[in-house]
Amino acid sequence: MRTTKKGIVLMLILALVTGFLFANGVSETATPAASSTTTLKWALWDISSTTYYEPLIKAYEQAHPNVKIEMLDLGSADFMTMLQTQLSGGDSSIDIVTIKDIPGYNNLVKKNLLMNLNAKIASENVDTSLYGGTTDQISVGGNLYGIPFRSDFWILYYNKALFDKAGVAYPSNDMTLAQYDALARRMTSGVGANKVYGAHYHTWRSDVQLFGILDGKHTIVDGEYSFLKPYYEMILNEQKDGICQNYATLKTSSTHYSGVFYNNSVATMNMGSWFIATLIDKIEKGEADCKDWGIVKYPHPEGTASGTTLGTITSLGVSNASKKKDAAFDFVKFVTGPAGAEIIAKTGTIPAIKNDKVISIISSKKGFPTDKASAEALKVTKTYLEMPLHEKAAEIEVVLNQVHDEIMTNNISIDAGLEKMSTQVQKILNK
Amino acid sequence: MPSRKAQIQKQLVAYSFIAPNFLGFAIFTLVPILFAFALAFLNWDGSNPITWAGLSNFKDLLDDDQFKAALRNTIVYAAGTVPLTLVCSLFLAVILNQGVRGKGFFRTVSFFPYIASLVAVAAVWNMIFNPEKGPVNMGLFKLGFEKVPGWAADKNWAMVTIILFSVWKYMGYYMIIYLAGLQGINAELYEAANLDGTNAWQRFRYVTVPQLRPTTFFVLVMLTIQCFKVYDIVYMLTQAGPGTATLVLVYDIYNKAFISWNLGSASAVAMVLFILVLAVTLLQFQGEKKMQ
Repeated sequence: MRTTKKGIVLMLILALVTGFLFANGVSETATPAASSTTTLKWALWDISSTTYYEPLIKAYEQAHPNVKIEMLDLGSADFMTMLQTQLSGGDSSIDIVTIKDIPGYNNLVKKNLLMNLNAKIASENVDTSLYGGTTDQISVGGNLYGIPFRSDFWILYYNKALFDKAGVAYPSNDMTLAQYDALARRMTSGVGANKVYGAHYHTWRSDVQLFGILDGKHTIVDGEYSFLKPYYEMILNEQKDGICQNYATLKTSSTHYSGVFYNNSVATMNMGSWFIATLIDKIEKGEADCKDWGIVKYPHPEGTASGTTLGTITSLGVSNASKKKDAAFDFVKFVTGPAGAEIIAKTGTIPAIKNDKVISIISSKKGFPTDKASAEALKVTKTYLEMPLHEKAAEIEVVLNQVHDEIMTNNISIDAGLEKMSTQVQKILNK
Repeated sequence: MPSRKAQIQKQLVAYSFIAPNFLGFAIFTLVPILFAFALAFLNWDGSNPITWAGLSNFKDLLDDDQFKAALRNTIVYAAGTVPLTLVCSLFLAVILNQGVRGKGFFRTVSFFPYIASLVAVAAVWNMIFNPEKGPVNMGLFKLGFEKVPGWAADKNWAMVTIILFSVWKYMGYYMIIYLAGLQGINAELYEAANLDGTNAWQRFRYVTVPQLRPTTFFVLVMLTIQCFKVYDIVYMLTQAGPGTATLVLVYDIYNKAFISWNLGSASAVAMVLFILVLAVTLLQFQGEKKMQ
């Protein structure tokens, strides 16, 4: 009898101890902070490979000694899913939220997870006219839930050494798609290990589909996609003729676009401006074979002005669940404001505020191409969002990606594919 | 006769032993499963208030191209993978149960794909089966095949690629189970069969196969459930492509839940999957009973 009692007591103690252990495992150990210090948690991705987080935080903390910014790295691949799961679960420890893409932003707004910034923008005199119209593109019913701090756009990178070797003139800042296609064909040469592809299209749908929206007549959420035909034709023909690498090969081998540019196997590559900072960094570290490169404005369809390109906006917002909204907004205001823009530009990254000073900071950064055309390429005239703000953007994107995959792997004809895209997206739109 | 108090105390001790495990199961498995069942009849995006949906989540599935493709592909995948894995693992087990030289080595080699990291082996597999530069297609080309398969990049071959990969990955594990089954067969049965003048095939057909029936049944049930739940292999090899050629139910659940944030619809698909697995398993149990 005594042993049984002892057993029960022991079990209870064990259960209690286990309980405490688990409880401690999931809860954060609270470190007693000085009562005057406010700690803000910033949800972001890729701390180790992103160069502007540290200087931004350092500058802000220097100006506000009573504020401490902690970074929370949720990883790059599934950042928006991770973030939404955390915030939906009622995590109030995150104060500042980085918004990676428009479908994700739309979801966060729909789910009421972001603070409406309108009142703060008005009371703190934030000048939204500095953002070149990008704030209008992410305004939901006249309300802003995020302020852009990065605004990347697509440009054409090219390998100067390969052009010099082939004796072909560098690409220009005003190229129609037909001229670009001809140039890519001229620059293709060699076989096997010496093969140089004239163009490179990463496996993202944006690489093909978004040429189609540059004329401003269509958007990617229209629900009618026959306008994409000429662009699919151009790129599939290039693929067939060996001008660019095969989509299926790139996809099954998970080839990263940076690798093919570093190892001199592509002469030109259409890609976002986010690659500038990485490229400079890799060359400086001696990790890229391609050392001499340049950029020009994105090629455009006939009749569209040069400098028309695609853009992606990365914004900062404040979590609705945050208990330190005022302090968090102050940090957001700093990062997204002119002072933050200059710090971001110094790392070679394109901030959302693109004034002459910012452009000159980027183009005079060590490692940035010294030719005039490359500096000029940073000046865009019109930017269309890769994915506009739309209630069903995330769902539409699933279909666009799937059919793009089918067309590019020649599993469906262009006409049938675009028809399928239209039917399926219309179904989503009419739901 | 122990007193009532002593009996209760004894039961309490027993429950206290079960409690830690059961609590974990209840919190992390049972409650979420029950919640998912309820969600199938509700509309929820994870944050906004939950609203009643009735059967509309299920009705929508009837007109949902993604779901229809996923259901078809999952059935094709299971129908291809289960029998092939079963036959291959049994064959391997029978061979490696004989006095072959180096059988320890071959058993390890066969088991290796099961324990190797999926991410790494899927990457290697994709390189080997690369349609343009992969050694498999190069070999086929050298052998005189003019039209070589596009493997993971061809919608007609992508599912075949996934099935082949799954068979290769799973068969080592089920081989071990079959080996255990084979070693449990009474040697006297083979001796008796020998005395009756049977050949190797007859011994396999009339002694080994019937004696292995409980093992085969176990393998069949486990393998079927595993196949219906497939996600990781598809994600690593084809990301459900080309198009929707290898989109499976769990992949569709993920898309609906975490891309479109339509948790009600995702739960409805999960429920369909649950009913499908339950029905197939019940059928298998019934078949087994009949055979007995």
